[in-house]
Amino acid sequence: MSDDLVARAQAGDQTAFRELYRQHAGRVYALCLRLTGDGRDAEERTQDVFVRLWDKLRSFRGDSAFSSWLHRLAVNVVLNERRTTGRRERRVMPAEDPDNVAGAQHAAPLHLNIDLERAIAELPDGAREVFVLYDIEGYGHGEIAQLVGIAEGTSKAQLFRARRLLREKLER
Amino acid sequence: MNESELQDAVSRLPKSIEPPRDLWPGIEARLARSGGGAWRRRWYWVPLAAAAVLVFLLIARAERSAWDVTALAGRPLIGTTRLAASGRLRVGDWLQTDDSSRALIAVGRIGQVEVRPDTRVQLVVAKANEHRLALARGTIDAKVDAVPRLFFVETPAGTAIDLGCAYTLETDSVGHGLLHVTAGEVEFQTGSHSSRVPLGALAQIRPSTGPGIPYVEDAPAPFVRALIGFDLEQRGTRARAVRTVLALARPHDALSLWHVLQRVDPSLRGVVYDRLAALVPPPPGVTRRAAIALESRALEGYWTKIQRIHFRIMVLQGVREIDPRTGLAKP
Repeated sequence: MSDDLVARAQAGDQTAFRELYRQHAGRVYALCLRLTGDGRDAEERTQDVFVRLWDKLRSFRGDSAFSSWLHRLAVNVVLNERRTTGRRERRVMPAEDPDNVAGAQHAAPLHLNIDLERAIAELPDGAREVFVLYDIEGYGHGEIAQLVGIAEGTSKAQLFRARRLLREKLER
Repeated sequence: MNESELQDAVSRLPKSIEPPRDLWPGIEARLARSGGGAWRRRWYWVPLAAAAVLVFLLIARAERSAWDVTALAGRPLIGTTRLAASGRLRVGDWLQTDDSSRALIAVGRIGQVEVRPDTRVQLVVAKANEHRLALARGTIDAKVDAVPRLFFVETPAGTAIDLGCAYTLETDSVGHGLLHVTAGEVEFQTGSHSSRVPLGALAQIRPSTGPGIPYVEDAPAPFVRALIGFDLEQRGTRARAVRTVLALARPHDALSLWHVLQRVDPSLRGVVYDRLAALVPPPPGVTRRAAIALESRALEGYWTKIQRIHFRIMVLQGVREIDPRTGLAKP
């Protein structure tokens, strides 16, 4: 069923594409929400992912499951946006110690009423990205290093920091 | 909450969360604005790409810039030129100190290296994403404040890789040397063979075997001798050296045993693991089978715990007494 939808959407059928959106929006939104830690950003990134998907759909050859391919595309969209935004912000903001700003950068989205989700949202950007990709999405440190543009050692350090911060937050 | 409870909670998180509002209208509007064929909108990439290449070339050229050098004592040599007060070390240049001269090299914008007397060092790479020196002989004190793996020092026996730290590295021209880390952590690598040396630890370096098993500063001399003996033994004849190391090991020496586990013959891994687990119990999720099979996730998990305990001991030294088995403060 999904294969048929993909084929029709690849041929330009927007009704089929809308159905793909219906089927995958929840999965994509969950990923965006956890990677960004912000509900409004997550909505924007989810829209970005599906607009990008429309552009890239013809390059999907079926070598992997469509959902895996879309998932990877979504990760790239979110991380690229963060890199661009990060560069813009760094022009006007001094460097900061992520440990000291945990919780200050992001107001947790109102609909996140689960302690763990809220704690993840409040992690510093770098630590949150690595934690979500490694512990929730199952990526390896090598893949994360490539996706995020950091060294493998940094990925491990960020994961260690994220887990420590989460345990501390959840113990309060 | 411990590590295991956290992992349990993470595994229960839903894979899918419905957006709080329907996002399709916004997507549809953007698709309508884009007008179909993506390639039609992308003509502007040609001049943009050309401009980006030009900017990249200009930046790459700028990054080949030299590093500043200051004479701290005497008159060090850069190439064949005597350094009066300060100068520039360019890629390919050698800096040499005699028995009465010292110099300070600014490592780009990320740190500094003090070059002690009777030392010969070359600038190999000076880029924003790679800072690399070659230490042919002598002693340097490096201090780097940057993300890991930006600063490298090659020696005749391998490469010291900065993981955000300060350290002293000495070597002779053949490759016998010593790495002493005073802040953060350093990885010393020879081919696929590597040692992780955190603050307050040392590693002997040999030209034939590369980095030795690291040990803490206050490790008893017999333990250190046993480790060095282990490093120098050939594979297959290490059993006696291993048993001596295990017998003398204390909980503080867990970081040494973590390395020994990976270097012993497979038949000895079980006894090494059991001793390590008795001294510092493994964290949740690390099994004996996985550790003995040298599965990277198990080894990383164990190292994370050992490293955390070690850092707490070092950082809180003289302030609070830390239990070396758990990392918790003693009452």
